[in-house]
Amino acid sequence: MTAATLAVTPTVRSATSAPMGRLLRSELRWVFKRPRTWIALTLLGLVPVVIAIGTRVGGSGDRGGPGLIGDLIGNGFVLPIVALTVTLAVLLPLVGAMWSADALAGEAAHSTLRYLLVAPVGRVRLLVVKTFGVATAVLTAAVLISVVGMITGYLVFGSHELLTLSGTTLSFGDALARVAIAAGWVAVQVWAVCAVALAVSACTEHPMVVMAATLAGAVVLGVLANIPALDWLQPYLLTNSWASLTDVLRDPMPTGGLLHGLALAGSYALIGWSLALARVVTKDG
Amino acid sequence: MTTGGTAVQAGTGVGADTQAPTPVGVAARTTGLRKVFRGTVAVDHLDLEVPAGSVLGMLGPNGSGKTTTIRMLLGLVRPTEGDVELLGQPMPDGAAHALPRVGALVEGPGFHPFLSGEDNLRRVAAAEPLLATKDVHRSVSDALDRVGLVAARHRKFRAYSLGMKQRLGLAAALLVPRELVVLDEPTNGLDPAGTREIRKVVAELHAAGTTVLVSSHLLSEVEATCTHVAVLHRGNVVAQGELAPLLEAGNPTLLVTTPARNEGVEALRDNRIGVRLVDEGLLVDLAGTSAPAVVETLVRSGVPVHEARRQRADLEELFARLTESAPDDTPEVDR
Repeated sequence: MTAATLAVTPTVRSATSAPMGRLLRSELRWVFKRPRTWIALTLLGLVPVVIAIGTRVGGSGDRGGPGLIGDLIGNGFVLPIVALTVTLAVLLPLVGAMWSADALAGEAAHSTLRYLLVAPVGRVRLLVVKTFGVATAVLTAAVLISVVGMITGYLVFGSHELLTLSGTTLSFGDALARVAIAAGWVAVQVWAVCAVALAVSACTEHPMVVMAATLAGAVVLGVLANIPALDWLQPYLLTNSWASLTDVLRDPMPTGGLLHGLALAGSYALIGWSLALARVVTKDG
Repeated sequence: MTTGGTAVQAGTGVGADTQAPTPVGVAARTTGLRKVFRGTVAVDHLDLEVPAGSVLGMLGPNGSGKTTTIRMLLGLVRPTEGDVELLGQPMPDGAAHALPRVGALVEGPGFHPFLSGEDNLRRVAAAEPLLATKDVHRSVSDALDRVGLVAARHRKFRAYSLGMKQRLGLAAALLVPRELVVLDEPTNGLDPAGTREIRKVVAELHAAGTTVLVSSHLLSEVEATCTHVAVLHRGNVVAQGELAPLLEAGNPTLLVTTPARNEGVEALRDNRIGVRLVDEGLLVDLAGTSAPAVVETLVRSGVPVHEARRQRADLEELFARLTESAPDDTPEVDR
């Protein structure tokens, strides 16, 4: 602690904000250094393995079990799709909400948001960086489930090809493309959930509130979907469109439901992100 | 003692060029600053000036508006009314231009418990606009060295002691050379050695020409490190200026040590000099007289003088006087 050390002048940039690439790298390092990120990814990666083992052990060896799971036997490429469908129902939105909760509410809870703001990281830029971190984590999860699913599927059930629900057989390359489409589509759906969660995250200092709000939102959508009087609402419920994921297992692939799902997810994401932005630029740091 | 908020505001109000440069010599300034949080007035008509190159101690009891003022200075909170100028930039709109040159430790250090001290600092460094990417690593090492945390650099933040956490916060504030360093209650949780280190850092910053704004409710701390002082009370500045004249403005006294205490009191009172007995000796009121005259009077009366020391009014007295006599003009808002 000498005057000399204080006087050392590093190369001084004359900028008003840090380079974007550096901020994004820093954010990714932060997301992926968290123990909970690794725990979540590990558990998600185990889902296809558990499904495979369960089906192998529990299945009689005959085809014709219930739904997609029954379709798995001798058809390994179905496993990643099954795993994505299963995780999209609850686990992926939950983990996505967790990342969104940490992104803003968690930073506020640790007082670190304040120091990012006085660095300064501009408020719009801050939300962009945070969104990038959450989106990357979600994409990583979707890809991980798919890759583990394909490998496990091959090891447990064999087959280089994909026997579709329509009865046709797709080549290895086509099957790979179908899995990639499914993973990307699932990622977009979870991004929509995360955008809404980010809006909540921007409004609170308690990450738990974000998790609770996101789960409550999912439950409300589920309830609305089951009220006959609200039939007209059905096409606008995000969770309703998630059933379209199995379309990737048909040949030729019907694109209507998938595209509707994308449009819907895009709308939810746009609204959620706009609300988050409106809150981030005005909130007290 | 505060200047009229409205009069100052008139000059910088509607239509004023917000980019107008600050006259040289002021690192930060607030005019007619007011902040209301949900019906509670936290800061009201606050006019504060932080002279460039000074070490300004912002003093006030808990809840007097110190932290709120600092948060508005840093653009974290938008004022309800009034103007804030930081390094010549209007805040919060000029934050991008002012804040890179400002280091801050506000409302305690903020770091992630699962990262090591070094990783936490690297994260802060990545967001520093004035830091070139190739210098990030070295700046982090230098900052850790400066606050004596090199040995603990790889330890998780959650395992840090309160004092270490505070030092890491200081390291983050000093990652790049600053024009202004804002330290909000920097010695919270520090042991006496840590407090001395903070004082040393502040002195070094001062010597290097950096303006320092320190807020504290510990009077001795401010007295030890500051050139200027601003006293806040109920969201208002009740006094500000250089520390020495403010202290001199109080009643000067002389502490006289003598074995013949009673004779001394008699001798002084015979000469119409105010005096009272304290544990250490005689406390002589210098109003209307001078130290040499007092000593002369005592010696002539045959009272042996072992020691005579001029007592400056300490900050505690000054503070008590200011906050007690301050007009109770803070509007109470119904909650």
